[in-house]
Amino acid sequence: MIPSHLRITLIIVVISYFIVILYFLKQKALNLKYTLLWLVAGAVMGILVVVPELLTRTIRLFGIQDNMNGLFLFCIGFIVLILLSLTSIASRQNRKLRTLIQELAILDKRVRDLEKDGREHDG
Amino acid sequence: MDYKGKKILVIIPAYNEAENIVQVVEQMRSVAPWCDYLVVNDGSTDKTPAICEGQGFRYLDLSINMGIGGAVQAGYIYAYKNDYDIAVQMDGDGQHDAAYLENLLEPILADEADVVIGSRFLEKEGFQTSASRRAGINILSALIRITTGKRIRDVTSGFRAVNRMFIEIYSKDYPMDYPEPEAIVAAIMHLGRVREVPVQMRAREGGVSSITFKKSIYYMIKVTLAILICRLSYGVRRGKRQ
Repeated sequence: MIPSHLRITLIIVVISYFIVILYFLKQKALNLKYTLLWLVAGAVMGILVVVPELLTRTIRLFGIQDNMNGLFLFCIGFIVLILLSLTSIASRQNRKLRTLIQELAILDKRVRDLEKDGREHDG
Repeated sequence: MDYKGKKILVIIPAYNEAENIVQVVEQMRSVAPWCDYLVVNDGSTDKTPAICEGQGFRYLDLSINMGIGGAVQAGYIYAYKNDYDIAVQMDGDGQHDAAYLENLLEPILADEADVVIGSRFLEKEGFQTSASRRAGINILSALIRITTGKRIRDVTSGFRAVNRMFIEIYSKDYPMDYPEPEAIVAAIMHLGRVREVPVQMRAREGGVSSITFKKSIYYMIKVTLAILICRLSYGVRRGKRQ
């Protein structure tokens, strides 16, 4: 079992975590689409802290004896997932940016060609 | 302009090639006036774009440096949108000799190949690059042979010609960073007929090669992984001939 003192600390941490995320969402500093994983992570942590029975049973499944170790493992797991999703977002944006630059260059050439045509017509 | 009834575009990627680009384009125009050409300035920080504008070259101006893959792909997109039948890649640093353009085009015009690679190592003439680079190229060549069963010797050669089918494929998906070997694997996985023809290359005329010694280790690791991943991802859904 997690000592109740520690549980209170953890509950406060999870609540503050949600407050910070919701604040950022309200300020439009975070895009909801990219925040879903953070919210899911917070919700799972919250449930595990409030219902320690669930935590004990889950971590026993993986062969972990200590509750705090189990919580840490969950944290690390979520962080790895979130980092992976960030890398994937960066890669996707990289691809989009590349297409954008290429299209811009082709458009830029068209504009130059049109301007040249225009000048020839004027002259 | 036409060559044997085909519209041909020579794509010349150029990153900081102010010293070479004029000579490259002029030589290309005098040897092969029947080709259109397109310099792709890859966000150069030197006078390359100013020179292109001043000389009245046909050029694309990428506002941000994207690396050779992104620059070449911009050329393929341009070729695709402007209905070119054949596209040729030729480096902007003067290593590639436009005199070999016809040799490169011949297998495509005869419909014997979809992708033609100008190879330094078929007749072993001209500039052969350093022993260590040749060793690296041989390793990648062996890797491509193991993974695809196709023997290509000069897998890093950036002197290539492709037909309309591969203009379309490459305009949609072209590898990044060090794209040459990976593009060969992608071509083979799309069931393209890849052929090598002998060419001679020159040592660089000016500027510096993009691959320094320190980068060569990163190069080998990155390209090896890229080949394996490219092979694996197509292994499940091998492309169809169009």
